[in-house]
Amino acid sequence: MRIQVNARNRGYDFEALPGEKVLYAGLRAGIDLPYECATGTCGTCKAKVVSGRVRDGWAEAPGKKFVKPAANEFLMCQCAAEEGLTLEVSKFVYPMDAGACVPQKCIGTVRNSRALTHDVMGFALEFEEPRDFDAGQFVLLAPEGVAGYRGYSMCNFARGGRRLDFIVKRKPDGGFSQWLFGGKRDGARVETFGPLGKATFDPALGKNLLLIAGGSGIAGMMSILARAEEAQYFARHRGWLFFGVRTMRDAFFLDELSRYSGVDVTIALSEEDPPQNTRLRFERGLVHEVAKRAMAGKYQDVRAYVAGPPPAVDAAIRVLLLEAKLTTDNIRYDKYS
Amino acid sequence: MGKRLVCQVADIPENGLKECEAEGGLKLVVANAGGEFYGFQAVCPHQDVPLCEGLFDGSTLTCHMHLWQWDIRTGEPRGIAEAPLQRYPLSREGDALYLGAEGTALDVGELFNGLAPSILEKLAGLARRETHEAGAMLYRPGDPAEDFFVLDSGRVEFLVGRGERTAPGGFMLKKGEVFGWAALLDGYPNRIASARCLEHSSLLRINGKSALGVLEKDPGAGFVVMRRLAALIARYLATSGVK
Repeated sequence: MRIQVNARNRGYDFEALPGEKVLYAGLRAGIDLPYECATGTCGTCKAKVVSGRVRDGWAEAPGKKFVKPAANEFLMCQCAAEEGLTLEVSKFVYPMDAGACVPQKCIGTVRNSRALTHDVMGFALEFEEPRDFDAGQFVLLAPEGVAGYRGYSMCNFARGGRRLDFIVKRKPDGGFSQWLFGGKRDGARVETFGPLGKATFDPALGKNLLLIAGGSGIAGMMSILARAEEAQYFARHRGWLFFGVRTMRDAFFLDELSRYSGVDVTIALSEEDPPQNTRLRFERGLVHEVAKRAMAGKYQDVRAYVAGPPPAVDAAIRVLLLEAKLTTDNIRYDKYS
Repeated sequence: MGKRLVCQVADIPENGLKECEAEGGLKLVVANAGGEFYGFQAVCPHQDVPLCEGLFDGSTLTCHMHLWQWDIRTGEPRGIAEAPLQRYPLSREGDALYLGAEGTALDVGELFNGLAPSILEKLAGLARRETHEAGAMLYRPGDPAEDFFVLDSGRVEFLVGRGERTAPGGFMLKKGEVFGWAALLDGYPNRIASARCLEHSSLLRINGKSALGVLEKDPGAGFVVMRRLAALIARYLATSGVK
């Protein structure tokens, strides 16, 4: 099916498979259509039908509060073209860079699923072909045959690798999370679309790194650390990681983090006092407050990455803008909603 | 419309923001920058987020949702923001703030906003206001590119290519957006796209050479305009990695 997109700066056209969501078809074609969550929540991929019809795959998507159906608006991540479609995106849209990892749909097999805490599991997906991505990116996951993607950040980094590592927090209403926690899943097949996301790190950046993660927001930070370590980045630049969890019972990846000698790691516990005699540094407080105390006066030449639940991300961004006076291009963030 | 009450000075905390509704119903966000007051459109031009929920340090306003930023004095975009804020000039009388006349397309536009009133007056003197019905063709490829346009209201769409082989070349829909800027460049005497009004549209038409003449007499202002024009053109050449 032919889809034409009229953007503020130019037009694009591309083919979509029957039933394929407009956003995924465009991204697959190397067109950097606007999106943030890509799963129906944020409303960033809003567009307007000029001619043709779309079928809405999720009428109750939370992101629908940003669209006006009476004005023929729809979410590109939830709607598929029913016939040739012309749509309008009221933003500047560019082709992806030559070096970008163009998103695609692939099936992966679950390996090594294991409990990391009482409510966080780790697992890997193995693919038949290499799956390249940039450190800090995420992919959309759905058990094969089950509708409704959820986005999860990769925790590892390997160019040309066939394995992606993930962590998943147990959520009562979370489709993928519920499925993963609901039984032994090793060997099961999972549909994926990606890689996605612009909160990425490349060693060519050449700045000191400040990483602030709340809870499962640590996933993308682990990927960034792995990428940096591979390039011996911390021999030339400083690195700080602040990882916020409620209590020691909620902390994980502590062994992995203690192995990064070039990075100043602090675990922020919001609901209990820190333990004594530990290899890693622990502080009491919300992660953005702990980071603010520790980082005062150290913001020269810093790029910050923030990920976690939206309130934690917003609070950290406030510190980075108003206290640290970082410019917005040096604040990359991922809100997990 | 005459002067409209917006709010009391005391309503806006020092280096703070507040959403206010002017008499007659216009919503705006009012900023207090060290005792100077500025009024702007109340919602972010990106995704309709209320700007009063944003961050303000006394000089830069940041929308908390996607970190678009603007200069509080002019509404000019900063950092990753892709659009200016519409500015509403406020006047102070005693302890109250009033909304004056709304800015013209030139005042609020991306190329000329914030320039000295004397320059804006001269440019306004060169501008001819035109209104066109939906479907009206403003120019076609090959036409001489003598004038540029500033959109006041309505919507203009571009097509590149000729005859049967055309492709969409974007569209303009915001007050103050500038198009047909080949008229401000050397070596581009002809149009390379067609421009057509999609709705009833109101435009300012300005002769490029005459505008350059005004700017040459004030190189400071000319430099600002040329920097902005360069940034505007670069937006059309950029790839996704740039932003």
